[in-house]
Amino acid sequence: MTSIFVKRFRSIALFVAVLGGAAAAGAQEIRIGALFAMSGTQSAFGELMFSGAALAVDHANADRMLSGKLTMAVEDTQGTPQLGVIGMNKLVSVEKVPYVLTSYTGVSKAVAPLGLRSKTVVVNGGAVGPDLAELGAYFWNVIPLANFEVKAFVPYLVKQRGFKRVTLVYLDDPLGNGIRKELEASLPAVGGQLVEALSVPVAAQQFGGVAARVRESKPDVVYIASYGAQQVSAIKQLRDNGVTQPLVSYGSFSNPEILALPEAKGALFTTQLVDWQASDAVTRRFVDDYKAKYGKPPGVYTTNYYNMVRLFVLLARDLQKQGKPITGENLLAQRLASKSFDLAGSKVSFEANGTVMAPIQINEIDAGGAAKPVAVIPVN
Amino acid sequence: MLAYAINLAVLICINATLAVTLNFIMGYAGIFSIAHAVFFGIGAYSAAYAAAHFSASFFVAVPLAMAVAGVLSLALALPALRVRGEYFVAASLGLQVMAVTVFSEWKSVTGGIGGVIGIPPVELLGRAVAEPLEFLLLALACLLLVIAGTGVLLRSSFGRSLQAVRDSESAAQAAGKNVAAIKTLAVVVSSALAAVAGALYAFYIGFINVESFTLDTSVLLMAMVIIGGTGTMLGPIIGALLLMLLPSAFSYLWFLPQAQIGACQQLAYGAAMVLLMLFRPGGLVAARRDGVVR
Amino acid sequence: MLLLQLLFNGLQVGALYALTAAGFSLIFGTTRVFHLAHGSTFATAAYVFYGLYTLAHAHWLLAALLAAAAAVLFGVLLDRLVYAPIQRHEGSFFTLFIASFGVAIIVQNLIGMAFGRSFVTVTTPLSRSVEIGPGVFAAPLAGIAIVGALGFFGALHLFLTRTHLGIALRALSENPELVRAYGLSPRRLSAVAFALGSLLAVPAAIITVATSGLNPGIGSHVMLISLAATIVGGVGSVRGAACAGLLLGLAESLALWKLEPQWSEAVTFVVLFLFIVLRPSGFFGRAAVH
Repeated sequence: MTSIFVKRFRSIALFVAVLGGAAAAGAQEIRIGALFAMSGTQSAFGELMFSGAALAVDHANADRMLSGKLTMAVEDTQGTPQLGVIGMNKLVSVEKVPYVLTSYTGVSKAVAPLGLRSKTVVVNGGAVGPDLAELGAYFWNVIPLANFEVKAFVPYLVKQRGFKRVTLVYLDDPLGNGIRKELEASLPAVGGQLVEALSVPVAAQQFGGVAARVRESKPDVVYIASYGAQQVSAIKQLRDNGVTQPLVSYGSFSNPEILALPEAKGALFTTQLVDWQASDAVTRRFVDDYKAKYGKPPGVYTTNYYNMVRLFVLLARDLQKQGKPITGENLLAQRLASKSFDLAGSKVSFEANGTVMAPIQINEIDAGGAAKPVAVIPVN
Repeated sequence: MLAYAINLAVLICINATLAVTLNFIMGYAGIFSIAHAVFFGIGAYSAAYAAAHFSASFFVAVPLAMAVAGVLSLALALPALRVRGEYFVAASLGLQVMAVTVFSEWKSVTGGIGGVIGIPPVELLGRAVAEPLEFLLLALACLLLVIAGTGVLLRSSFGRSLQAVRDSESAAQAAGKNVAAIKTLAVVVSSALAAVAGALYAFYIGFINVESFTLDTSVLLMAMVIIGGTGTMLGPIIGALLLMLLPSAFSYLWFLPQAQIGACQQLAYGAAMVLLMLFRPGGLVAARRDGVVR
Repeated sequence: MLLLQLLFNGLQVGALYALTAAGFSLIFGTTRVFHLAHGSTFATAAYVFYGLYTLAHAHWLLAALLAAAAAVLFGVLLDRLVYAPIQRHEGSFFTLFIASFGVAIIVQNLIGMAFGRSFVTVTTPLSRSVEIGPGVFAAPLAGIAIVGALGFFGALHLFLTRTHLGIALRALSENPELVRAYGLSPRRLSAVAFALGSLLAVPAAIITVATSGLNPGIGSHVMLISLAATIVGGVGSVRGAACAGLLLGLAESLALWKLEPQWSEAVTFVVLFLFIVLRPSGFFGRAAVH
């Protein structure tokens, strides 16, 4: 059994270790913060996100894009709101960073008020809970949110694939509840129906009974709205317990553990469209360097977190050119003043509420454990 | 660095308050509860609710938190009247798990796993206590009041009756003590004071959710009391100090790989518990009982 | 149909709960040690099996035997090196409780460091269920679990009633002083209790690896259920713990018939709480100490 207080000080330790490293690095330093799930059941995602962000930091320093060395202070949240808040408190009051990368809907919702109060920019590239659009001017999203993904996915599922009856298995937290609300809203409009919604607690490990309820509801397709280790467990047990219907989800299915799972073959999931084959210099360098370092191509989350750091670098560079200090307030103003940003795999512009619209790509997990794109839903 | 130290100090105060109140029933009443985090949580949620719906004033939120926790602690008092020892631990365990489920599901009040966000700073005498240093003083003041309060109670005839019940329930009953009332009152007082810590926690972090009030927290609090030593006032405070500082001491070991720092801290924490129980089972602060030093 | 399926699921889960609960009850009833680290025994056996079978590609029987050896060794060493010294000194109930909890934390983190913190499982066709009736699915592993549990309980019963060692163990749980008077060593008997109790957790651990999968925290969940089952079944009665384990497994599963999944864990503990308040001696236990 792990204790919340010990977990809390684990993050202090990580912070101090990084601080120690940073202090040694040099005086003229530009520091940003990050809230990742570096340990715990979500660590697979934390690693993905960290690898993308760290590569961007390396690229920025190699190119000397900023006057001063860019460093990143990472706090371990384990994907939980409690630790996220503790980490954010440290980033804001001790590290005093102007820009924080965040992940996970629950964590993001919890830290957003802190960002708003301290005028610190908080950027999200992994969480997709629909509530994240309403967290104030200082909260930005570079990933289309779940309501957007679900809205795009539902017509495809019902009309193109003929799946009218949907059963939802969802984690009982802000993300899961957000997806449920969106399914309830969009399915009837295209002639579909949410026949059953089963909420599971965060610590649930047994899905035999849930599988029985799923089978009982006789759906055409099962939507799983969870993440991390639990999602892997759920997929395996649903299949083991006689659920033969196709499984679908949002971007969290791009987790390498799920792609490798034999029971996940044929699953469909949505992600934003990222063109890793684009020929522009930024994309090529990102994809090539990442492949060289990690031996595999980058995925959606890695790309987003690379881009979030790159976004900061582009904004900060503009601010430095204008002689303005790099503060959250100035970063926000600079973003509002800029039309679009050349990021890896896409050119991004922000909506007024700090979200992005992007084409949605529908992927299928093939027999080799890779995510094959099968359809693209453009922005309408 | 100073901000870090103040943050740590506030959390130590809050945990010490919890440990002292738990020791009130564990050390002095012989009621070993593993559900203390439940009342910590009830206090936190009540204070947050009060701050959102009525007033963020200290003198509104905290008494409300204490009242709610006190009333709900009757659910814990019930098994305390019926069983002792391992049976009571199991009952309190049941209560703890049920409470976690309620905290996770009663979304309109607790926000479920998403928790309660944006809790306003507490107001004391007209001004908001938002600066960490000011909050530290408030937390210290509360800790001292709780220590004083429990100390006074223990030195009174109630306290003597309580210890009589702990040492031999049948003898106390034979001597005409109302054992049921004494035990119930002890549980209510302990829980109400734990709620004070909960309210402070909610105001300090500005965000609360069920993760802070789980079985793990309850066991940590029990460990603080037992490692520090039951039966003395100082014991739980030392226990709280030790268990809160030990993990941070790890941060100075630069040679540990980052991904494993957390696991190493927990290993040290577990090892400390085992070693202390092997070599100093009475706790770090030995109790003086009837002049016999243990 | 749903009810039948849930009933069957409950039987399977209940069989595994019954095994681990019986192990805990045997240890607790005989030695009065609140062996919180019983969950760690379970986790150790499960991860050793997983490590040998999946990572080292050993034959499953070899992996199972080594897992059993690891579990027994763990239990006995714990008794010798941690519990016995504490009991010699002062041995208060809660000292043992905290020490056991400390051990559980250590084991959980060592496992996490060695195997990673995410979910691992063993892929085997035995965990895939087939439709055995209208709307009722069962996996071969479910049958193995139930039959295996019955087999183990049968063997346990024979051991406790027919062998000298078994009878001595039962005597120890009733009256340690008398046992000493008869020239038997409570120390040695307690080691036997730990070995046997830990062994009972092994089949459940191995089956769990293949069905629901593992993560380092699996020990705590198992521990809570074992504790609840021991109390509900009555302290001192291994048969009671086994029945209660089965009951709790059934209750947890059948709760899904009408309730949402997030309430099913609470159901177990509502049952526990009610028993303690209304009938502390459980099903078969001796009257509670008051």
